[in-house]
Amino acid sequence: MIELKNVTRRFGDTVAVDGIDLAIETGEVCVLVGSSGCGKSTTLRMINRLLPHSSGEIRVDGKDITTLNPERLRLNMGYVIQGTGLFPHWTVARNIALVPRLLKWPQARVDARVRELMTLLDLDPDTYANKYPAQLSGGQAQRVGVARALAADPNILLMDEPFGALDAITRENLQLEMLRIQRQVRKTTVFVTHDIDEALKLATRIAVMDQGRIVQHDTPENILRHPASEFVENLVGKQDRGLKLMSLRPVRELMTAHARPRPATPGADALGEDDSLREALSVMLCRNLTQLPVCNGRGEETGVIARERIIRDGV
Amino acid sequence: MPVTRSLPDPRAPNRVVPVLAGLALVLVWSLDFGRIQPNRIVPGTGHGLVSALGWGGAALISLALGGSLLLSILPVRRRYPCLLVLITVLLAALPQLLVVFAARQLPEGAPYARTVIGAGFWCLLFLLSLMVVEVLGRLRARYGVPLLLLALIAASWLVLLRGDGLDSLSLLREYQAQPGKFEQALWTHLALAFGAVAISAVLAFALALRMIRSPGWQRPILGAVSFLQTIPSLAVFGLLIAPLGALASAFPVLQALGVRGIGWAPALLALVAYSLLPMVRNTFVALTDIPEHLTDAARGMGMTERQVFFQLKLPLAMPVIIEGLRITTIQAIGLTAVAALIGAGGFGDFIFQGLGQAAMDLVLLGALPTIALALLADALLTMLAASLRPTPARA
Repeated sequence: MIELKNVTRRFGDTVAVDGIDLAIETGEVCVLVGSSGCGKSTTLRMINRLLPHSSGEIRVDGKDITTLNPERLRLNMGYVIQGTGLFPHWTVARNIALVPRLLKWPQARVDARVRELMTLLDLDPDTYANKYPAQLSGGQAQRVGVARALAADPNILLMDEPFGALDAITRENLQLEMLRIQRQVRKTTVFVTHDIDEALKLATRIAVMDQGRIVQHDTPENILRHPASEFVENLVGKQDRGLKLMSLRPVRELMTAHARPRPATPGADALGEDDSLREALSVMLCRNLTQLPVCNGRGEETGVIARERIIRDGV
Repeated sequence: MPVTRSLPDPRAPNRVVPVLAGLALVLVWSLDFGRIQPNRIVPGTGHGLVSALGWGGAALISLALGGSLLLSILPVRRRYPCLLVLITVLLAALPQLLVVFAARQLPEGAPYARTVIGAGFWCLLFLLSLMVVEVLGRLRARYGVPLLLLALIAASWLVLLRGDGLDSLSLLREYQAQPGKFEQALWTHLALAFGAVAISAVLAFALALRMIRSPGWQRPILGAVSFLQTIPSLAVFGLLIAPLGALASAFPVLQALGVRGIGWAPALLALVAYSLLPMVRNTFVALTDIPEHLTDAARGMGMTERQVFFQLKLPLAMPVIIEGLRITTIQAIGLTAVAALIGAGGFGDFIFQGLGQAAMDLVLLGALPTIALALLADALLTMLAASLRPTPARA
């Protein structure tokens, strides 16, 4: 649990963060979103004391962070940044092992953990362990960056625009990966981004920031349904809020389930249970269909979803 | 056939080696291969290739050079390994040619007569070395191969120089005329040059750290070391005579240590002063040029400043620091030769003696080892820097 109480950060005369209050519950993903210069990165960097706060109080699991040793504090917080920050003179395995080695884990435990994490992040240890960061693609490098942050199993994960420099397809893949990993490891995560779609996709709760203040802190659905101000309304997009709401809900919620799974029709268009209503509608509009079969992870057809239903109950 | 731009086709004809080999052929036939001097001062008579080595020797050299020329143009498999072997053998056999020359042309019963290496031989040596460098580059040889070649060639030269056949060679005559002096000069030269580099490396590291800790020091320190670099070297040597002389007479302890207005002390001081600029600049730039996102990530992961310095900054800065070390070392080896003017010793002694006595062979006895030392230091430090690069070159 991370609590910020009336936290302010000044750079000379300018106020970067202006008396914000924010509580991030254990295990939730809090996304700080806003345009550049709104103070979201500054807020993140104050949590691990890379920047000292000018006034106010920051508590991590009840303890005031200024009373803690900054290095010890950071060792328990995974940190992922946009440029990956991988050490170019170290191999992938050595990079991932950074924090465990700082914590003086025995070598065997470090090696086992590195393999485990590489597998978790879909990087084949035998292929990539001994490569250097310069030999990786952007997406692979950022996977290593995430693995490095998770290495010593910290309670908290701080991510500063981690996918900002990646192309759209790679970013989408890593976002899905991140959701999958989050379901497995449940870290208290603070995630900074300027991309509202990324925020809507990943967040448990979103904190919208503008000019150093938090203008709204709520779930993605509430942010879309009840934007607190003109600024938030513009940020989430005035016109396509309906579609964005649909993208928050999986097909599973509105499909008509079969009594028992049946084999899928080969070659036919089908959706996954976790695909969003927005994708379902898009496919139907594109193919001019009124309904689509839905399949589970094993490829069995578990139900159908109808266009009428999405339009009636989707938002 | 697909065209690959990154890797030149190994079967495409080479353009560099044939030019070098052709040039070598022309020069070795048109210039004097060697000279016979009746004594140290008289210029003596020059001998062309045929006169020096006979038709057999001339044909052998021409064949070898022509062979490498053809090997590099014709579509041959394993072109470069063949070329490498051929050129290496030729290089290793070069002193043997001098033995043949001495045996053929040196007059009997003339104890002062000497053989002098001519322009043709020097050109041959130089062009063959260039060819080796080119072939090694094409082979993308690792460090081991060049070192092995160097050792092979050096060993063959040493064996032949130590044998009796080359006693008449002017360079060896000069070497033997002052027994023990050559080795002493070598050690003095090495001690002065490397001593100065070591001292300036330590000093430069301390200064660079100072500049990083307190940015206010950057201008004064960089200004001071740049200023030192602008004073002509001879002037520094001269300028130091008076203050060091005064110091030595004021403090007998220093005198007992051998510090005087002339000798090793002013030489070492001047060399250190000259070495500071490249060392300080490279060390400082290398340590401050670490991308910010790396130090940010390192600190964010929980590394202490000490760990950031030793595990991140220093290893990344090392190749650039070594580059500074390389420039400094080469410069110091050259400058040490000049330091002989103020009685510091080293190979410069031979050069200035030779100039004074109009004996070019003595000049060469000082100049050649100085050049060799500089080249050797350059090669070794380049390899060291390359081996420290973060990502392997063949990534």
